[in-house]
Amino acid sequence: MNPLAHVAVPTSELPGVVWPAMPSIEGARMLATQFQFAQSERWTPQQLSRAQFAQLGLLLRHARDTVPFYRERFGDVNLGQLDATSFAWIPLITRSDIQAHFEAMTSRAVPRDHGRVYAGQSSGSTGSPLRFRFTDLQEVFWHAYTLRDHLWHRRDLSGRLGAIRGRVTPGAVAGWGESTDSAYQTGAAVMCNTHSSMEEQADWLLREDPDYLIGIASNLQALARHCAGRGLRPRRLREVRTYGEALHPDARAEVRRAWNVPLVDMYTCREGGYLALQCPQHEHYHVQAEGVYLELLNEAGRACAPGEIGRVVITPLHNFAMPMIRYAIGDMAEAGAPCDCGRGLPVIRRIMGRTRNMLHRPGGGVRYPRFGELLFGDIAPVLQYQVVQKTLRDIEVALVTSRPLTADEERRLRELIVGQLGDPFAIVFVYRDSIPRTAEGKYEEFRSEVQP
Amino acid sequence: MDGFRHVPRSACSGVLWPALTDDESARMLALQYQFEQTQWWPQEKLAEMQLQQFRSVFAHAVATVPYYRERFAPWRSGIESWERYRELPVSSRADVQQAGSDMHSSESPPAHGPLMKTESSGSTGRPLVTLGSAWTQMMWHALLLRDHLWQGRDLGGKLAAIRSFAEPGRAGNWGAATAAFTTGEAVVRGLSEDIDEQLRWLVQEDPEYLLAYATNMQALAARSLELSLRLPKLRQVRTYGEMLRPDARRIVREAWGVAIVDSYSSEELGNIALQCPQSGNYHVQAESLIVEVLDESGKPCPPGTIGQLFVTTLQNFSMPLIRYASGDFAEVAGPCACGRGLPALSRIIGRQRNMLVRSDGVRHWPSFPMQAWKDVAPVRQIQLVQDAIDHITVHVVMPRDFEGEEAQRLTAALQQCLRHPFRITLVRVNAIAAGAGGKYEDFVSLLVP
Repeated sequence: MNPLAHVAVPTSELPGVVWPAMPSIEGARMLATQFQFAQSERWTPQQLSRAQFAQLGLLLRHARDTVPFYRERFGDVNLGQLDATSFAWIPLITRSDIQAHFEAMTSRAVPRDHGRVYAGQSSGSTGSPLRFRFTDLQEVFWHAYTLRDHLWHRRDLSGRLGAIRGRVTPGAVAGWGESTDSAYQTGAAVMCNTHSSMEEQADWLLREDPDYLIGIASNLQALARHCAGRGLRPRRLREVRTYGEALHPDARAEVRRAWNVPLVDMYTCREGGYLALQCPQHEHYHVQAEGVYLELLNEAGRACAPGEIGRVVITPLHNFAMPMIRYAIGDMAEAGAPCDCGRGLPVIRRIMGRTRNMLHRPGGGVRYPRFGELLFGDIAPVLQYQVVQKTLRDIEVALVTSRPLTADEERRLRELIVGQLGDPFAIVFVYRDSIPRTAEGKYEEFRSEVQP
Repeated sequence: MDGFRHVPRSACSGVLWPALTDDESARMLALQYQFEQTQWWPQEKLAEMQLQQFRSVFAHAVATVPYYRERFAPWRSGIESWERYRELPVSSRADVQQAGSDMHSSESPPAHGPLMKTESSGSTGRPLVTLGSAWTQMMWHALLLRDHLWQGRDLGGKLAAIRSFAEPGRAGNWGAATAAFTTGEAVVRGLSEDIDEQLRWLVQEDPEYLLAYATNMQALAARSLELSLRLPKLRQVRTYGEMLRPDARRIVREAWGVAIVDSYSSEELGNIALQCPQSGNYHVQAESLIVEVLDESGKPCPPGTIGQLFVTTLQNFSMPLIRYASGDFAEVAGPCACGRGLPALSRIIGRQRNMLVRSDGVRHWPSFPMQAWKDVAPVRQIQLVQDAIDHITVHVVMPRDFEGEEAQRLTAALQQCLRHPFRITLVRVNAIAAGAGGKYEDFVSLLVP
């Protein structure tokens, strides 16, 4: 059976015609894009690469001709013969480059048919936010990838969608939103805010009883843990979908334990859009190569081989308002081997997270530390924690506890944390009433303030 | 295959891929997206959606088409099942011709676009005038595009077409069905031109794809073989409009080293069935039509048997045809090996007048491999006319008179083909006239009404 055979019949707007549907023009455009996705995801890497570089050529010429930052950078470089080799000569840009050159990186002549130009801002859990520009066109593609994710994972669009997000007003609306509703009839969507307590979120979940639940990874993991401990199991839930943070290694197991449903993760960022979606057949991710040229670069600056971890460097293909060409977004990820699902889209095996979530070891080198709240809970009544590396020798641990800890509890916690970090760091405890999430609802378990 | 060449044409500046097309193309691709899915649906699901769509057509027909208002009065309450559908009376070509404008809807939905008239040739003379809308037309084009995509055609190639009543011409693209894509150029010649002239033109144009009536294609291939002419760029030929002879595929393969992809369409119904890209079957275009193959008692034919085709148009709201006897016969195929749920026909047989009737009551559709007579005499073309239950007049085009035992040997070869000792009269003629629309028939029975 073909992977598309399950898809629902779109909503038809043509009088008398039920099937095949002729949707509104917005719906038709959406399906026309899905038609192309269904083909391009089956292309060979060579075919994908050819299409990407044809599109990149247009983007780079636009950048050179209308964006001061790139005019300087590209000068007289011949942009006619782009391929992976010639492209790799372009210097990388970082978050601080975009922050420093916001105006200079803005196009002076955005094509009129890309629609309105918006200013966006990405949170950045620490330090100053990142401002960037984007257009209506990217919104259109954003919706297209959202729908692709639904189609890949064969979601029943008539189901009830529950969302726990940072910037939403709690309540209910008819329909899942623009991504789906231009072409399909969808069920209701119900919203809850990440700033609600776990008790409130769990109550909401049981009360609303959605078929699908979407939210920030750490929040849903915490909710799953909360529910598992209390035996709270919503009746209809079929799948949990996460975004916004690197997935904790235990997240899938915890969601499975709590609710007996699979977890489907996605890799997005506000300034770059959809970067990768989870393969419908595996736990790894497929780069959304139709929208982004994504490189994983090792320390030598070369493309990572499968199994190698490297920096995520993106070039969104359709941002003509503020082209970001070879932008190192500050994440690390592991390259994957080609997938056996039949899709030629490149594979990311794991998303490690932000570089600022990496521990800098006193003797040199870095690694991603992981902690388990459950272990903390075995020693002391810890409700919340956050570990911050202050220097190459000093770690500060912020704790929210239900009562003051004893000296012995602190000692045992210290031993546990030092053991987990693997190096003899000096640990200082600070006590807080709460450790708030960011406005988007993100939460960092570990953060390093050590500058590389 | 080079996938990137199949990227639609983008109408948005700076965006080449994925393409953001113009609105018309977006609609066309939205249909293709659905076709990609529906072709794999199980037959039950297809049947369920067909019935839903039919209810909509039926309600419209009963309410706005005078011919159906009376005819379907007893079923006015609705068609809730296939059993109920099969109760509906059928309409013949003559019924439709006679009804004239009573077949037209008084309220064709404005959203379906402007109406257009089609005159279908009908090999027997009297043309059938049908009415369709821009929507009907779009569906036909969508099915043609489906055919291109099924067969993996390189849309960037040059397409040569030999059509009836066509003036020689040249266009920068393949036409409306492929308007969402950038295509190669298309060149056209008229069917009435001499085969050698057609061939000279083809050699000069050297196309990637060639479209022609089946007999025309076969004649071109045979003549190419005689003259040892090659068409080096040719990748595939497409036939339509006539029945393929059993040896047509072999001759085309020998002449040009390419495959024939056949299609079954009519001017009043559009694309009815397209050749499966994997098997040799013809897939009924279930999104556009309901096709029934019924035996003489009106019961559905099981796989492997031949019956008459009854067709209902699902997307024509200006002149709906409901259980319309197209006049053609076909053999029903079992589930297709390709896995598509679209119903399959293993052979399109032709019309009732192409059916042979024997004195012992046996009826079949005879076919004539060219080899059967080519080895006997320098025969260019042949047509058999059954004018009595035991007699057949054979019109033969050849450059000279029969010599020696040629006439007797040809008679024997034909009798063997017909699997019956008919009395045969050979008549040498200068040419065999094509029917209306330029179509040839190898066998015509005057006994069948």
